Amino acid sequence: MIKKVFLFIKSKLFIFVMAGVFIGLLFSLGMYEGLHRTSNDKFCIVCHEMAPMVASYHSNVHGGAGKSGIKVACVTCHLPHDNVLNYIYTKAKNGVVEGAIHFFGNPDAIDWHKNRQRRDEFVVDEGCISCHTNYTTNPNISEKGIKMHKHYVSLQDTDKQIGCASCHVEIGHKGLRSMLNYYKPEYEFYDGKFDSKKEAVEKQLLETLK
Amino acid sequence: MCNKKTLYLVGVFLFFNAMYLIGSEVSKTPPAQEVAVSAELQEKFPLKNHHAKLSLKCADCHEGQGDEPENFQMIGDEGCLSCHKSKQYLADRLKFMDVLHVNPHNSIHDGQRLYCDECHFEHQKSENMCLNCHSNDVKIWMKDTP
Repeated sequence: MIKKVFLFIKSKLFIFVMAGVFIGLLFSLGMYEGLHRTSNDKFCIVCHEMAPMVASYHSNVHGGAGKSGIKVACVTCHLPHDNVLNYIYTKAKNGVVEGAIHFFGNPDAIDWHKNRQRRDEFVVDEGCISCHTNYTTNPNISEKGIKMHKHYVSLQDTDKQIGCASCHVEIGHKGLRSMLNYYKPEYEFYDGKFDSKKEAVEKQLLETLK
Repeated sequence: MCNKKTLYLVGVFLFFNAMYLIGSEVSKTPPAQEVAVSAELQEKFPLKNHHAKLSLKCADCHEGQGDEPENFQMIGDEGCLSCHKSKQYLADRLKFMDVLHVNPHNSIHDGQRLYCDECHFEHQKSENMCLNCHSNDVKIWMKDTP
């Protein structure tokens, strides 16, 4: 029986190989398109609680506010790129968790201001470095900057390791703290005082993400 | 004859070697002086939490001030801003406070003219200058001064 199957495959080897290649390519294309189309702010904001983050991202050079209008996708900095499987796993896990919080959980319970203290945990440094490759030698960086970047390198793989966002506060999201306050003030004193600001931000967001 | 030529070549080689060594000695900048931070020193000059987390060393702020902590000088606004960019940048980061005119980095009384060390101290508790007059209000406007 096995021999028969083997002979059948052997006689139609070309067709099998071609079919395999075709299915493989089709799968790759689907995967690529799927990952690509689900990696920008327009898609992420559907489930993620991140209106203030997206609004502040749009004001930053990384979010298209620079002279060249380049936009770095959310996933470039926020998902691991060490290998494809880890990337897909993390993406899927985040999607499920965030989706569950958005639709069934209590998004208001998220303490954004407290999370800002853990900002380095939300940023994958490899993402930054994949573009900013010469961060220890770039002559456009100040002397202090180069010194601190070398300090960063020296702490790598030690128990004192720091991340890009440890120092680069609000990087990728200009005015993040203010934006978070417009949505959820840090102090009671500000309650209700930012409503018009928030409204303007929401309006702008709708416009941009149309 | 051959020996003379060899000798000459070796001489030139050694000459350039010597030049290289002398040259490299001149261009080499003195290495940043590292201060060994003892427990005693740490207690005397504690770092603010956010700076300690970055494992900053004495000479990262006190640049070119030798290796004797007792003789270190204040680094002034320029020193702070070598990392913290500019007063405008710092004021912008607290923009939400402008709505109620309580942004300490864009003060309603002093604008951006204040010196960093009028409120912020690295090795001792910071003092919020606003408290001098607004002793009851400040705590509802902002947290303790970092």
